[in-house]
Amino acid sequence: MPVFRWGQGWDPFRDLEREVDQLLANASLFHGIRFGRQYPPVNVYELNNELLLTAELPGTRVDDLEVLISGGVLTIKGKRSGPEGLSDDRFRRQERPRGNWQRSLTLPDHIQEDKMRAEFTNGVLCIRLPKAEATRPRQIPVTNGQPS
Amino acid sequence: MSNEIVRASETAPPPPPEYPIDQVVFTPPIDIFETEEGLVLQADLPGVSSESLELQVQDNKLSLFGRVALPIPSEARLIHQEYQVGHFLRSFILSDEVDHERIAAKLNQGVLEVILPRLPKAEPRRIQIQVESKDG
Repeated sequence: MPVFRWGQGWDPFRDLEREVDQLLANASLFHGIRFGRQYPPVNVYELNNELLLTAELPGTRVDDLEVLISGGVLTIKGKRSGPEGLSDDRFRRQERPRGNWQRSLTLPDHIQEDKMRAEFTNGVLCIRLPKAEATRPRQIPVTNGQPS
Repeated sequence: MSNEIVRASETAPPPPPEYPIDQVVFTPPIDIFETEEGLVLQADLPGVSSESLELQVQDNKLSLFGRVALPIPSEARLIHQEYQVGHFLRSFILSDEVDHERIAAKLNQGVLEVILPRLPKAEPRRIQIQVESKDG
């Protein structure tokens, strides 16, 4: 289970997203959706020969990051710890999430699991999911048929 | 709150005009904690590199603006979105306690760390009291 601490107390300078959360909280329909979302949020991009899955994980050490694939299920897990040897009363402001997290995602069938690669750059994880040959777009020649 | 030596600026300034803004701009989450020497400010700026980060102190205001560069080719199509990508902007008011000359910063894996050392405490100084001689 992810364990996160967001900023303590009321803070009028929250980031935009949480202001949006506030707005949506009024419309109670969205409340559960916004707060029930999984961590980390991911985006998926498509290229002709691969899918790219990205997640923002600033401050995570590569050693604390694990990417596993098994039976079509991609699992990413990791942790972010605070500064070592620092008691909570030293904090004037605490807004950055920390703790352990894990998320599993079911991959589409046509991914070549053995050719997946992952990079971590400037706090952004990018997992490359190459498509199997059969699903890449293939030019099909059109020839003149025999007029009947 | 009154003795805070760093506080978030009440109104975020508009981004400097020299940056063409093609994306959403977010206020990044920050931590501020005390050390023996002063304060440390950490901000989450995923996708920002040291080349695309502007950090400046003017008068008593510390501003950061980070431009996000995605590790994604431009022809990629977004097919599933759970988070929005944007640049980061936030500014802070520094108190006179911060030694502006010794502010230092580093960026590592999307986290900016700004060291805000306290000014050394001034030694107590004896002030001579002059006695006005009163004539007549």
